[in-house]
Amino acid sequence: MNETVQAANAITPWFNGVATEIKELSQNVATVLERSLVGKFKVSKAALVGLDGLSREFLTKNSFAVGAGTFFAADSVEEGGLPPEWWSRNPSGAIGRLKFDLTPGSDRFYDYEKLPFFSTAASTGEQTVWGPYIDYLGTEEYVLTFSAPFYVHGNFMGVAGCDIRLRDLEPLIMPNLRLIQSHAALINASNRVILGNSGMYLVGERIKSESPNQHRLALDVPHLGLSLIYTPRS
Amino acid sequence: MFGVGGATLREALAELREQGIVETRRGRSGGTFVVNQPRTQTDNIRDWFLATSISEIRDIGDEHAAVAAAIIRLACERAEAHDVDRLEELARALVLATSPEVRALADSRFHIELAVSAQSPRLARAEIRLQEETVQQLWTPLAVVFDPEPATAEHLELVRAVAQDQPAKAGHLVLEHIRRNIFHLIDTKLALGYARSNQDAHE
Repeated sequence: MNETVQAANAITPWFNGVATEIKELSQNVATVLERSLVGKFKVSKAALVGLDGLSREFLTKNSFAVGAGTFFAADSVEEGGLPPEWWSRNPSGAIGRLKFDLTPGSDRFYDYEKLPFFSTAASTGEQTVWGPYIDYLGTEEYVLTFSAPFYVHGNFMGVAGCDIRLRDLEPLIMPNLRLIQSHAALINASNRVILGNSGMYLVGERIKSESPNQHRLALDVPHLGLSLIYTPRS
Repeated sequence: MFGVGGATLREALAELREQGIVETRRGRSGGTFVVNQPRTQTDNIRDWFLATSISEIRDIGDEHAAVAAAIIRLACERAEAHDVDRLEELARALVLATSPEVRALADSRFHIELAVSAQSPRLARAEIRLQEETVQQLWTPLAVVFDPEPATAEHLELVRAVAQDQPAKAGHLVLEHIRRNIFHLIDTKLALGYARSNQDAHE
């Protein structure tokens, strides 16, 4: 299965590249907050100056991402809460701030602390990726969200991350999957297909049983739980 | 004025003027006056029932059944533990809700998140549209009050069937669930639109 190793070798650096970018974004966010939070423990609106620039820079540099920014832990911000600093690219390419409804009990309440891109990063302290999922009440897109937690003075403050639409990911990854003759797919940590090279493995579907002909090759991307699976064509 | 900006105030007044709630008169004794009661949500729902025929209500049910059957089949295949936990929590929110408005919200949220767990953006959009079209009608107490307890029990049963990946059972449950909703809408339509003055009073 040389071709599968070859595909894995091509895909792995791409995801490690995204992971590095997210790590850097989260560290930059932490640095901005550390500077503005001298002697204080809760983030206030005034402490956010400069975060918009980080998101814009990220999106300008990384054209694969449709949105990027920061979600704060409710405990880390001043009373009354703070909206996420999330910036996204609209269809014409302009970058604008995304608004979320953060009123508990309202009909469009975006309960992001319960979404795995936030909760997993918060509980493990490591980078994570969540999706494919429909980001209902968030970006309203079918996306993957990459995220990394950030800390100020050792306290968990929130996560920084980016969204990649599945439709934008497909042309970037598919050429590598097409190197594989077998039916093959890139899957996430919960065995959900991110992208497949044939109708056998469709995006969003879950691989529940390990058939005897199905092989698995874990990608060397720390904490994201990505693998390739493949089944020889009969 | 009132701690809001002039532009915001003018915008709000323009909207009320358009709805016929206020009138603005020019001249010495001019100004903006309240001339009508604003319509309530219940008024709007009542009008919907009067303007919508039983054949149309049945047809909404037909479409909803088609969408819901597809969603539940895909949810059985595609939902994972995180989705199941979330759906269970949303199902319970319905019986905990204390007003018709919050029940409507909890009910529609459950069905939309079920669609989200099916991973199809198109089906999710269809479910959102169908919820917007009918969920207020279902829970606004007009003629017959809709009971949240059996609805919650049905939602929980649906979650269980999804968790156990039982598409046949789940499909059957969801069709029954929608049939019951549509029967309630038709009952309300009959009571509001075709009241039998004597019998209905004694039923």
